[in-house]
Order: sequence, then C-alpha cells, then structure tokens
Amino acid sequence: MARTLRSYVLMLKWQALSNKPILPLEAAVQVMIACGFVIGLSFFYPDINPTTAKFLVTGAPTLILLMTGLVLAPQIISMARAEGTFDYIWSLPVKRIVYLLADATIWVLVSLPGVVLALIIGAAYHDFSLEISPLAVPALLLIALTGVFIGYAIAHGAPKPQLANLATQIIVFFIMIFSPVVYPTEQLPDWLATLHNGLPIKYMADLSRGTLTDMDVNLGLAFSVVGVWCVAAFLVTYALVHRRR
Amino acid sequence: MNRSEWSITMKTNGTGDKRTVLEIDRVCKSYVKGTRVNDNISISLAEGEIFGLLGPNGAGKTTLVNQIIGLVKPDSGGIVLDGVDIVANPNYARQACSFQAQTQVPINGLTTMQAIELVGRVRGGGAGGVRKRTRELIRELEMEEWSRKTAESFSGGMRRLVAFCMAAVIPGRIVILDEPTNDVDPLRRRLLWQQVRNLIEKGSTVLLVTHNVLEAERTVDRLAIIDQGRVIGTGTPGSLKENGSRNMRLELILEPRSEVPESPGFMQHTILNGRRMIVKLEDDDVAPAMQWARKLKDTGVVEEFSVGPSTLEDVYVKMVGNSDALIRPEQEIENGTYAS
Repeated sequence: MARTLRSYVLMLKWQALSNKPILPLEAAVQVMIACGFVIGLSFFYPDINPTTAKFLVTGAPTLILLMTGLVLAPQIISMARAEGTFDYIWSLPVKRIVYLLADATIWVLVSLPGVVLALIIGAAYHDFSLEISPLAVPALLLIALTGVFIGYAIAHGAPKPQLANLATQIIVFFIMIFSPVVYPTEQLPDWLATLHNGLPIKYMADLSRGTLTDMDVNLGLAFSVVGVWCVAAFLVTYALVHRRR
Repeated sequence: MNRSEWSITMKTNGTGDKRTVLEIDRVCKSYVKGTRVNDNISISLAEGEIFGLLGPNGAGKTTLVNQIIGLVKPDSGGIVLDGVDIVANPNYARQACSFQAQTQVPINGLTTMQAIELVGRVRGGGAGGVRKRTRELIRELEMEEWSRKTAESFSGGMRRLVAFCMAAVIPGRIVILDEPTNDVDPLRRRLLWQQVRNLIEKGSTVLLVTHNVLEAERTVDRLAIIDQGRVIGTGTPGSLKENGSRNMRLELILEPRSEVPESPGFMQHTILNGRRMIVKLEDDDVAPAMQWARKLKDTGVVEEFSVGPSTLEDVYVKMVGNSDALIRPEQEIENGTYAS
C-alpha cells in the first residue's frame, strides 16, 4: 500500500510537471467555457425565468466536467499515443491503474476552477441562491471521474489516435445540443428522451441540480446510474491499458 | 552468399561459465496474419555482458524488446528472466529491466534533474541516493548546462541523453537501450559508452539495440544480427568476422566525379557508398591491392586509401544484404558495374 501511494504521489508530480506549460491555459479555457455556458447560453432564451436560469447554471458543471474528461484528456492521450510515449510509461514499475488515477486527478483539478466560477458567476448573473448540499462534492467528483474514464476508454480503445479525437468531438456535440443538461428532458422528442434513460448525461445533470439547488431530483437513481457508468468505464479502461499487443 | 553460411547456431550463451540472465526461446510474433515480425528468435544473455541486437530498420528488434518488457505478447515461445517466466509475469520484467525507449520520453515540462530523479524514485531509489546518482550522471555526461532547464527546448540528442540517464539512474538487472546514441554528438557518445560500461561494473547486463554497426563493434561483448524477424548470426564480433572468411579490406575514397576503376582479379566482393569503396581481400591479395591502389592515387582516380582488418560492418552488409536499410546506404558492385 505504501509503495502504491508513493507511486501515486510520484506520478502525480510527473503529470503535474508535464502539464505545467499548458495548465494555466487550460484553466483559462475552463473559465471562459464557464462564462460562456452560464451567460452565453442564456442569450438563447429571450425571457429567461428562474427555472430556466437554474437549469443553465446547474447544467454548467456537468458540461465543464464532461468537456474536460471527454475532450481535453483524450486529446492529450491521443497525442501521447501517436508519439509512442505510453511504450515508455507502461515500461515503468508502476501499476497502470496508479498512473491513470494520478492522471485523472490532474484533470479533475484542472476543471475545478471552471466549475466553481460557473456556479458563482451564474448565480450572481441570474440572481438566485444556490443551496449546496454536502453531497455536491461526491456528486461532482463522480461526474468528473465518469467523464475522464469514458474519455480514457475512447482514447485508449480507438484503433487510431485520430479516431479518438473525432469520436470525442461528436460526443461533445451530442452532449451540448441533444442532451437534457441545460434544458429539461421534456423538451426532447420521445425517442431521444428514451435514449437518455440509458445514458449517464441526464443523470449527471441531475446530480448537479439535486446537490446544488432545491430542485426535486431522484438523487439515488442519479448516483446509481452514473456510478454504474463510472465503474464500467473504469473497467474498460483498465482492460484496455493492460492488454498486450 | 547463402545466408545460412553466415549463421552460427549458439548452443550455449557463449560466455563460458557466466550465468544466463535472460533466455529468449523460439519467440514468434505476427501483427498481421502470415507476416512474422519475430520468427523463431532464440537468444540468451549472460550476466554482466553487453549484448548487441543489430539489424536494419524494421528487422524486428524493437518488437523483441517490447516482448521482454511486456508491452507485446509473443504468439509462441518463451522469455525467462532470472528464472521467472516474464510472458506470464510481465510485472517482474518491468521491475527487473530499466529501459531507454526509441520513442519519445514524456519529459516536457520537466527539468533534466526532475526527469531523472522521478524515474529513480519510481524505480524504488531513496531521495538522497537518487539525487547523488543523478548529479553523477549529469556531471559524467557533461550536461550541467541543461540540468535545470526544461526539456521543451532540448535537441533530439539532449533528449536521448536524458532518456539514457533515466534508464541508468537506478539500473535494472537488465538495462535495455534502444538506439541510445541517435542524434547524440560524437564527444558525448564517448561519454555515454563509458557510462554503459559503468553499468556493467554496477552489476547490470546491457541489451543494446542498434543499427549502428561501428559503435556496436566497439562496445558489445556478443551480438545477434536480426533481419526480417530472424536471427541470422550470433557470436562475438570476432567470431562473426572470422566466419566472414575474407579477413582484410581495402578502403578507397574516389576523387569526385571519377569513374569506378577497372576491376583486378581480387576484386570480387566490393561495396560502394558514394565515393567510398570497400574491397574485401584474402591475405595473399593485400600486396597487389596496395600496388593497385597506389597507382590509382598517382593517376588521380583515388583521393586516399587504407588497408586494414575486416570490420563487423563488412560482415553485417554481407549478412543482411539489404542496402537500403543500412545507416550508410551502400551499393554492391560486381566487376566494376553497379548491381544495386
């Protein structure tokens, strides 16, 4: 256990130093995305009411965390795969899962400023109060890790690194436009609403809403569905990084 | 030349009483059905030796290394390290081997010191010992100027030196170096080879993967030559050269734009690389060859010439016989006409 913890700390340091040149830029992008979501998206609604505003603001953390997990992380991994750097990393006497957790930690930390700012700016801009439950921390952590592990599974599983980038772009487009994150499920056609019953996106947004506001959400169901997706994505990633060519 | 004439089957590890550390036994690997990247490869490394794995690009060297460190699984055959089956237990291989990859090492954002120290700590070294060893490597390789700079600005050669230090800081039972001197300047190459020898003194065994035959000849104790996935020769540089039959070579540097000279009788095996021409000689042919070369120099056909013992490169060219794949592309000529 001590050895695993030591490996985790060392790999965390390595990942933090490796990403140091781009981390400030990534954090700045996260902040811009946060402002874009909570203010920019409200321009779609000419007469924004408090309910719509709450949907926008509480949907923003899910969007930011998924953007990080499903776009930024896979892009960096795809670049590393194309350069062959994983051949080196996997040759080190470090459990691959430890490396993945250290990497995931970095991505979760990178997305935190954007999430916090989106909530503060959004609540102030739309003039309503957040009601933050202690469950907000595990909820946001679960959303972030699920996004990162799905991103990892795509990035490590794609036959070619370029395909991973393409796949993540399509997924983000689907999440932004065709998912009930910043609007209610009732606004979707039935078939798309049914599809979302099996996907984690709607439940991620529910986790945000249920732990950051007084909106009525089935948190148990949301934790369960997103938890299952998180474990499944983790297991797929685990299998992918342990396979030998 | 029939390839089999050059092959030497090694029944033992060829180093007398030294203990075998790594045993690669009839390893086969295909990525695409029907195309074997490694074809029945058997090699054994003895404790404390520098073993060279030579071969042209695409010969299957890196695939073999990737099987040793558990990135690639053999289709058949076995790999045993210190008595442990590392095909079944790749984690043991990663503990026991330190590795300088041919590919990029993820060191952007890290200083030279940080990169080397991190790997040293990851490999189980204590903070003080790793720092001391890191400083020693940086000093010995004359890299002090770069020790606190981040790697983004490093040349390819400097990145390779850092990667070497990362493999050498806490060396494994086996240190695998995949093309360690690519892009490294000539002075630091010498320093690097000294450090490779130091690894042996520290108790490691070195597997050196290269296509640089000249450097390998000066460095390795034994070697295997791989071509098209198969081992086509194994032994010491000396034993391989003896099997090359012709023991001497005449090297001519032609004057620019001069014609390839007429071929005397002894000029049966000739290799041409730009203006450089190498003629294999029997011992009896040395005197007439010198006379012939002097005459060519006097008539302005040849700029300079030299006679010396055959090199491993000569043997390698004959064995591999694939001129396009060499680090110095060479064309074989027979009877004075190009036959490439």
